[in-house]
Amino acid sequence: MKHLSKALAFGLAAAAVFTACAAAATLAVGSTSLSAGNAGVAKCTSSLAATRNVDNSGKVTQVNVAGIPTACSGETLSVTLVGSGNAALGTGSGTVGSCGTSCSVTITSFGATVSATNVLGYSFGLTGA
Amino acid sequence: MRRLRLTPRRVAILLAATVGVSAGVAYAATLSVTSWHLWAGSQTLTKSTCTLQPSTTDTYVTQAAPGGSNGSAATMLVRSNTNGQDWTFVYFDLSSCAIPTTGGADTATLTLFITSAPGTSRTITVTPVLTSWTNSLTWTAAQSLSYGSTTTTFTTGTTNNTAKSATVTVDVDALIKNPSASFGWRLSDTGSGNATTTFASSNNGTANRRPQLVINYEK
Repeated sequence: MKHLSKALAFGLAAAAVFTACAAAATLAVGSTSLSAGNAGVAKCTSSLAATRNVDNSGKVTQVNVAGIPTACSGETLSVTLVGSGNAALGTGSGTVGSCGTSCSVTITSFGATVSATNVLGYSFGLTGA
Repeated sequence: MRRLRLTPRRVAILLAATVGVSAGVAYAATLSVTSWHLWAGSQTLTKSTCTLQPSTTDTYVTQAAPGGSNGSAATMLVRSNTNGQDWTFVYFDLSSCAIPTTGGADTATLTLFITSAPGTSRTITVTPVLTSWTNSLTWTAAQSLSYGSTTTTFTTGTTNNTAKSATVTVDVDALIKNPSASFGWRLSDTGSGNATTTFASSNNGTANRRPQLVINYEK
């Protein structure tokens, strides 16, 4: 009976440890989705830069992001056209592909017609499995 | 109700099951953490304006005198004529604007000064020139140049000494990204009938009448 108690105690302790690990890991998923650069989340790049094309009336027709590391291949890149006061003028996304020594993404739809004059910057979000 | 006896064998099975399930949950949760990549960043653009005046090179060519050049003339002609056309060419070197190839034009406006307007308003077609040329260009040589398919237009009106503008944003944006994408524009009048529009050139005595290109850009 003494051995039985020890075995039961050991089993409960092991289950508690595994359960705690599971809870902690689950918590890390939720918390890292709120902030970039969390040590618990891998990232495939630390910087991106975009160029854009316009039509003759100065409306943005596409945004091109090149020089993306091949480690990001297959991930989803979202680009937001940022205007005055950090207003989101339009957002589009694409899958990182066209990889040689590096990858690129071309995004042609932003959910709105955006004048290049009003675009003061880009905001990037990269997610992937 | 039958009482379940806790034998060592049953305890061992229960322990193994509990540990297995717990370990599985822990592993699955850990796996989902490490398999997701998340990154966010931003890029800030700088806006500026570059005004080029006069044009770096300009001239006009005459179908009636196919071997002649007019690069030093103070005015340039655009003529629609059943017996022969005149075409005007203007080119601006963007290098003094120092816009990086990663930049782009937000807007670009080509302005030409009409010193002598036609009797009836005409539509002038502005076509990008895709091969290089000099101010000694002739009508004959102009036939061998390559021209872009995308054009823009403006109307002359009938008033002398007025400035007229054409939007050339898409051409200048492409030129910023690739400095050899094009070499200025050809102005032509393909309408019917005979009409001549006269523009001030870079050799014009009045500086503010010379061809001008204003670029609002980002970098």
